[in-house]
Amino acid sequence: MNIFFRELRANFKSLVIWSVITALLVVVGVAKFSAYYGNPESLKILDSFPPAVLDAMNLRAFNLTTVIGFFGIMFVYFGLLGAIAAAMWGSDIISKEERDRTVEFSLVLPVSRNRVVTAKALAALVNCAVFVLVTWGFSLLMVRSYKPEPGFYSFLALEMEGMFVIELIFLGLGLLLGCAMKQYKLSGSTAVGIIMVTYILSVMSGLQKNLDFLKYFTPFKYFDAGEMLRSGALGGGYLLLSAAIVVVCVAAAYWTYNRRDLYI
Amino acid sequence: MSVIEVSNLTKYYGKSRGIVDVSFDVKEGEIFGFIGPNGAGKSTTIRLLLSLIHPTSGSAKVFGKDVVTHGTEIRRDIGYLPSEVFYYEGMKVIDLLKYSASFFPADSTQRMRELSDLMELEMNRRISDLSYGNKKKVGIVQGLLHSPKLLFLDEPTSGLDPLMQRKFFDLIRKENARGVTVFFSSHILGEVQRLCNRVGIIREGKIVEISDIRSLQQNNYKKLRVTGEGLKAADFKLAGVTNVQSDNGTTSFFFKGDINAVLKKLSGMKLDDVSIEEPSLEEIFMHYYE
Repeated sequence: MNIFFRELRANFKSLVIWSVITALLVVVGVAKFSAYYGNPESLKILDSFPPAVLDAMNLRAFNLTTVIGFFGIMFVYFGLLGAIAAAMWGSDIISKEERDRTVEFSLVLPVSRNRVVTAKALAALVNCAVFVLVTWGFSLLMVRSYKPEPGFYSFLALEMEGMFVIELIFLGLGLLLGCAMKQYKLSGSTAVGIIMVTYILSVMSGLQKNLDFLKYFTPFKYFDAGEMLRSGALGGGYLLLSAAIVVVCVAAAYWTYNRRDLYI
Repeated sequence: MSVIEVSNLTKYYGKSRGIVDVSFDVKEGEIFGFIGPNGAGKSTTIRLLLSLIHPTSGSAKVFGKDVVTHGTEIRRDIGYLPSEVFYYEGMKVIDLLKYSASFFPADSTQRMRELSDLMELEMNRRISDLSYGNKKKVGIVQGLLHSPKLLFLDEPTSGLDPLMQRKFFDLIRKENARGVTVFFSSHILGEVQRLCNRVGIIREGKIVEISDIRSLQQNNYKKLRVTGEGLKAADFKLAGVTNVQSDNGTTSFFFKGDINAVLKKLSGMKLDDVSIEEPSLEEIFMHYYE
């Protein structure tokens, strides 16, 4: 428990910074939304956009002039932000001990490497959960001045669940990179690189029918806001796939961290 | 009883050498000196024993337990002072020490106060504000806090002023008198000579000599200095003579072997002066490295 609490304290500043970022995203987003809200005329601008761009930004599935529509479009950004934060937390919480050269202290204490990874993973998990709650809370706060249509609150809840699952996937990936990579300097940037590649894959998979198979390789496509709105649930198959990815990443993280030499 | 048993321990980092086929024992209650120049493999050996890194081949036991499989248990009774200390920069000294203590069952509040008073440690400062020497003091207190049975000291005196060094050595001697085994790695021979019972000399990853300090000095080598008119280095060609140096009629050399042989040789010469000394560890050490 002592490692867990120390990590929570050490990561608090980073959590505050990320919370400010997500709050800003919601505040700025909703401020922009106020220009579209209840104003169908404004949508005409979108007609001049090529359809591929509209698809890429998920602008065709939603009606931007409604609160649900607006948050449907926001989901991509929530997912991206959650993914980046989770991956950074996951890789950093392990690799920083080698970066700051504190391993010669922290791993000479009578603790197994398993216990270290567990405590740190749980601390990062708490961060991820708080991050979702902050996003959720600010969203609720900012839509108060509008009249959300019925079904908005359950839709937002579903989006936040989706965001949390995306966070879990990238947290697992980040942990694996932090545990497996001896080149601790690379683990954070590799994580962000993977996020960028998977995000681009998610855009590409929507562009052409024959690229549709790419959607299995990008967590950003596992939970599509339009699909969530239609079905009112997260896709069961994709949930299983997500769980499998998390389990494999975490298991591999423990396995490699136990076997490798610490970089001193 | 052996506290540390190392047998044929080998470590390669990829292709580069760490240590090769290192074997030695450290007995309970002794202060074992581990000497060698930078890059000889001293820190590698310690890190293997602490299971921070894993051996390429061979094995090592501490307290009779294998370091790879029982690392966690072993570390309960180990104190470690690395050559460079790094702690969580944002923490205060007192919080860091309490954090460290929280991993051990015994209450060490009393001991924390004693040790930090002795080392004149300011408990309320942040780690990031400490100088190199002050960080080292934190390292000493942290390493000894939980009353370990075995201490690993890796070049422990760097950064400490002479007064602190003396206090530190007194502290180590006191711990040793309580029965604590000490593994003392250093390249400063004077301190090894002052403190240790036995030494292992490591060079380019291999152990070149393990011996107790006294016999290393007494039985192995004598340092002879001979003064006489017309003496040349070539006059001392004899089995067991090394490091012959001639300067202005004075010739000095190391001799290992039957002392009578060299005395017989000397008796046939006309000498002004002769001295036979035990070489310092430093001289023995340099001898191994040439």
